[in-house]
Amino acid sequence: MRPGPRRLYAPRRVAVEAGEEGIPTAVEGTEVVAVREEWLVEDRWWAPRRLRRHYFELILIDGRDIVVFRDGSRRWHRQRA
Amino acid sequence: MATAPYIELHAHSAFSFLDGASTPTELAAAAAERGYPAFALTDHDGVWGSMEFAHACKGFGVRPITGAELTVSAPTRSRFEPLCDSNLDHPPSAAHLTLLVEDAAGYRNLCRLLTQAHSHTRQKKTLRCSFPTNSAGKEQRSGPGQPAVTLEQVEEHAGGLVCLSGCARDGAVAGAWARGDPAGAAAFARRLLAVFGRERFRIELQRPYWRHDRARNRWLAGLAERLGVPCVATGDVHSHSRRRARLQDAFVATRLGTTLEASEPRRRGNRSSALASPAAMAKRFAEHPAAVAETRRLAERLCFDLTAELGYRYPGSENPGADRELAGVCAARLSERYAGSPHRAEAEARLEAELATIGKLGLAGFFLLHRDLLELAREVALEVRGPESARAVLPPGRGRGSSVSSIVCYLTGLSHVDPVKARLFPGRFLNDEATSMPDIDLDFPRDIREVLIPRVHDRYGADRSALVAAFPTYRPRGAVRDLGKALALPPAEIERVAKTVGFHERSGEIERDVVAAIGAERAAAHGWRVLIGLTGEAMGLPRHASQHPGGMVISTRPLLDVCPVVPAAMAGRQIVQWDKDSCDDAGFLKIDLLGLGMLSAVERCVEEAGRARGERLDLSRIPLDDAETYESIRAAETTGVFQIESRAQMQMLPRTRPRDLDDLTVQVALVRPGPIQGGAVHPYIERRKRLREDPAYEVPYEHPLLEPVLRDTLGTIVYQEQVLEAAMALAGFSSAEAEGLRRAMSRKRSEAAIRGYHDAFVAGAAGRGVPEATAERVWAQIQGFSGFGFPKAHSAAFGLLAYQSAWLRIHYAPEFLCALLNEQPMGFYPPDALAHEAQRRGIRLAPPDANRSRVLCHVEAPRRGPGEGLPTDGRDRPAAGSELRGGLHVRIGLGYVKGVREEEMRALVAERDRGGAYRDVADLASRSGAGRDGLERLAWAGALDELTEAAPGETWSRFESHSGSNLDHPGGERRAGGRRRALWEAGAAATGRRHGEGTQMALPLETPGAPELEPLGAWGEAIADYGSTGMTLGEHPMALMRDGLGAELARSDDLERIDDGAIVEVAGMVVARQRPETAKGIVFMLLEDERGTVNLIVPPPVYDRHRAEVRTSPLVRARGRLERREGTINVLVSAVTKLHWTQMSEVAPPGHSFGRRQGASPKRPKPVS
Repeated sequence: MRPGPRRLYAPRRVAVEAGEEGIPTAVEGTEVVAVREEWLVEDRWWAPRRLRRHYFELILIDGRDIVVFRDGSRRWHRQRA
Repeated sequence: MATAPYIELHAHSAFSFLDGASTPTELAAAAAERGYPAFALTDHDGVWGSMEFAHACKGFGVRPITGAELTVSAPTRSRFEPLCDSNLDHPPSAAHLTLLVEDAAGYRNLCRLLTQAHSHTRQKKTLRCSFPTNSAGKEQRSGPGQPAVTLEQVEEHAGGLVCLSGCARDGAVAGAWARGDPAGAAAFARRLLAVFGRERFRIELQRPYWRHDRARNRWLAGLAERLGVPCVATGDVHSHSRRRARLQDAFVATRLGTTLEASEPRRRGNRSSALASPAAMAKRFAEHPAAVAETRRLAERLCFDLTAELGYRYPGSENPGADRELAGVCAARLSERYAGSPHRAEAEARLEAELATIGKLGLAGFFLLHRDLLELAREVALEVRGPESARAVLPPGRGRGSSVSSIVCYLTGLSHVDPVKARLFPGRFLNDEATSMPDIDLDFPRDIREVLIPRVHDRYGADRSALVAAFPTYRPRGAVRDLGKALALPPAEIERVAKTVGFHERSGEIERDVVAAIGAERAAAHGWRVLIGLTGEAMGLPRHASQHPGGMVISTRPLLDVCPVVPAAMAGRQIVQWDKDSCDDAGFLKIDLLGLGMLSAVERCVEEAGRARGERLDLSRIPLDDAETYESIRAAETTGVFQIESRAQMQMLPRTRPRDLDDLTVQVALVRPGPIQGGAVHPYIERRKRLREDPAYEVPYEHPLLEPVLRDTLGTIVYQEQVLEAAMALAGFSSAEAEGLRRAMSRKRSEAAIRGYHDAFVAGAAGRGVPEATAERVWAQIQGFSGFGFPKAHSAAFGLLAYQSAWLRIHYAPEFLCALLNEQPMGFYPPDALAHEAQRRGIRLAPPDANRSRVLCHVEAPRRGPGEGLPTDGRDRPAAGSELRGGLHVRIGLGYVKGVREEEMRALVAERDRGGAYRDVADLASRSGAGRDGLERLAWAGALDELTEAAPGETWSRFESHSGSNLDHPGGERRAGGRRRALWEAGAAATGRRHGEGTQMALPLETPGAPELEPLGAWGEAIADYGSTGMTLGEHPMALMRDGLGAELARSDDLERIDDGAIVEVAGMVVARQRPETAKGIVFMLLEDERGTVNLIVPPPVYDRHRAEVRTSPLVRARGRLERREGTINVLVSAVTKLHWTQMSEVAPPGHSFGRRQGASPKRPKPVS
């Protein structure tokens, strides 16, 4: 059986520590030094599986700029943005 | 200002039309609930909802701030110019500015800007292409434009307005930044700063939780610092609750004409545009606390009060001699109208009292203005009708509504009903404590009204008069179509559901409709579940702006200083941005110039009688006690009669048995939601019956105090003013309090106010010794009346027109039918049903004929062969002395043929009048100038049958009218092959060629003879009739089907001989189906068969089982119990089935052409080979 098309930039699960208000403080053990952007996607509510993602663009202490999101099940994912 | 940390200065209601999902009242209520002390409404390019919002806010204790989000456009640019340009006087493409009103001057400027923004929206925009096109020199046209102003216009009208730099995506500044043009954004901000100054320009920060919010706001804050102006935070609210945000998404997709999926880039992407609390908003802008604080500082400055500072005056309001002038006019007319009348003394006393009230309220100028308008209407009527017309003796229009009760209106010509004789009292219309302008409504025939409205603009100035707006709101059918498309549901299923849902369907019932239309399994799918929810949310929200049927406002100062004025869809007309409720709240003088179809029909009938019989009818002089007319009314033979033709009225008439105009006045008012919901109908009918049986019968009243006010209606509340009078008599309300109660009941937004009136009513009644239980029962009747009801004066005016139309129906039957057919659409019955009913009464109709028809239907003397018809004067008019009654028949006009061009038909008739009858199809094609499409449509409608030659041995179809005679052939037959042969010849004939300026005639070449063509057959003829004219004059479809339906089926006239309570089966064409809001889910259907009509009552459980059949089937078969009561017969239905075409094919002659694909009314005739 041939594999189907490969999904690019698919989110992958990631370990995130977050503060009381849900703001990430560390990603996979690396400290977050700044939240650069924060945005919400609440869409596809008309489809059987609605989309709810709370995105953060973070600057980590090692200088990396990464995007993570928390889904409706409160699980964290990393996504290339 | 209260202690809220944040004030919302940017919010959209549903009056942003598909970019806002809550009403202004919902927003105001939600703002109050969340603790906002002030709140701004800033709809797109309009203040359509601002008056409603201002009043609602005041009711909830919130200070309303008036504003709008204005679209500013760039000048026309070539498509090859770069989209973004850093050296701009205008933003790249259209962009938004948020404008907030600081003072009265600012409001005037906002109105002028909004007027200018819409000024071009109805023009056909002509775009000259700057790139090569396929057709050199041709201009490319696009549809009407979107509202927008230029920055120069903003600059001209900036005074008194505070400008915020615009929203995050489309704002003039933030939008440019978002499109990667920070230099352009900064340049534009500097330009706005120069226009508005530091005091009145703010950089707007928004936090819609999109990516780059923080970067954008950081950049905007930096720009504000460089410019030296504060930032201000706004929420760009689009719904009052998070739940409603889904509907906002769907509206965006609808506005863009696409699906939710495809509209993703233009939607908001999350629910943050739902109204949040001030604290939540302050937290949202935690990084910009100064911008939050600025909302409060700014709100304190924005003190303009829309409810108090308009400064509106109507023409004549400042005339110091108005009282004297009005008194003079009335006194002169009173002497004429009441000369020798026993009512004179009473009339004089009434006039004196009314003039005193008018003087006290300062309304003399108001009445004189209306009189002036009526004089204008008189000039217009003379022009439209022509001095020689039989209509010339008729007044230009008639009063309706409560104003008919005023003797001043009667004497100034604004009403045609003598209020003294008719015992009408003006308390509802005019009283000492009135707080708003009285309403004077005038009805005009449609043709006069069309000319009058632009003439009013000419008389009072185009800038000082405009029509009132109306806002069509979402109903189930439209909501299902729009939202179903947004959800990308299958179009065929959407259409099936849309056809199943009823106009008045409540949101809870839509689910059942969906199940009935597509089945429970499909209805359970996620998309349909979502649609059901969204449809319920959308109900009642405005979809777009339209024009009120005839409400006009007139002002002494330019209207656009008090409300924006925008072009209406009809050329030459303009509307203010407020509906009638908002105009009322604004204190505008509103004049209703209404077009009344029946008035037009009556005038047409008078004119046709004049043309055909040479008689000049003056309807004001006809006998008002004609026995034959009342007999027909009591027998419910009222098809086509004004106001008393509906199925419900026909059920009532044999039971109420009207004897005179007073009875008709009650009758007209009785079948209305108010009396029905107030429980007046059955007691009134019962008491009339008891009184007929026993003249000594004592009418019961809930309380003796009510007897004087409810005597005319036998103790029931039938008229609107009886609500007022009952409240005054029983609970001691003042007339102003009672009027306040009526107004509260007439608006949906006043439920809280109605509760307040209830407490005052019960307390007032107790003070007069009325037991609480009695007071509550009367209150229940009053509250039940809160649906629509007529004032007595209005009913009197309509009752008279009902009588006049019934009289014409009896004494000028062909002319009256002809007038009804020409004035369609109007009334309760479609033309097909009107024609069949007339045929059953013996009135003869003739099909369209190229050599006899005019463009409209007309009456003519029948042609029965040489020497057989009535003698005529050569112009379709019977010669003097001919026996006329019943001797005329109605010839269907060529304009009735669907799809023909009116100017072609006019030319065809003109050429026939000029050059004589057409010899054959080739002659017609050559001389008439009609194109091939028009000729084919005429051929398919049978209008060219007489121009074809019969084939050797041609058979005759059994085409005959219900009255048993065909008018053009003595044998009652029609040539079977006529239509197909005419169609063949029309296809072969050389036709004229149309040019922009006219038609180039063709050479009259002889057409080759038609081959042998198979006749259409009876069904084919009927289908062609329905497809081409929407009516058949031949055999009724049920007569054609009858043999195949089984002997157990009863015909409509059989029901008169069947016992009450018997189980019967009937079948017929569905003429009308109604599910009134007042009927608790019952559906009423009217079926027609070849002998008459059958009333079906479909109870809710049966409706639930057979929703699709009841709502959509054109032909049905029903089983149920026959119910006979006081002269009325109904079938209480237990089962409904659809009649299928297969059943029809069993009875159709072999070889006919109809089939499932064509259905009962094919859209367009198809040539048959």
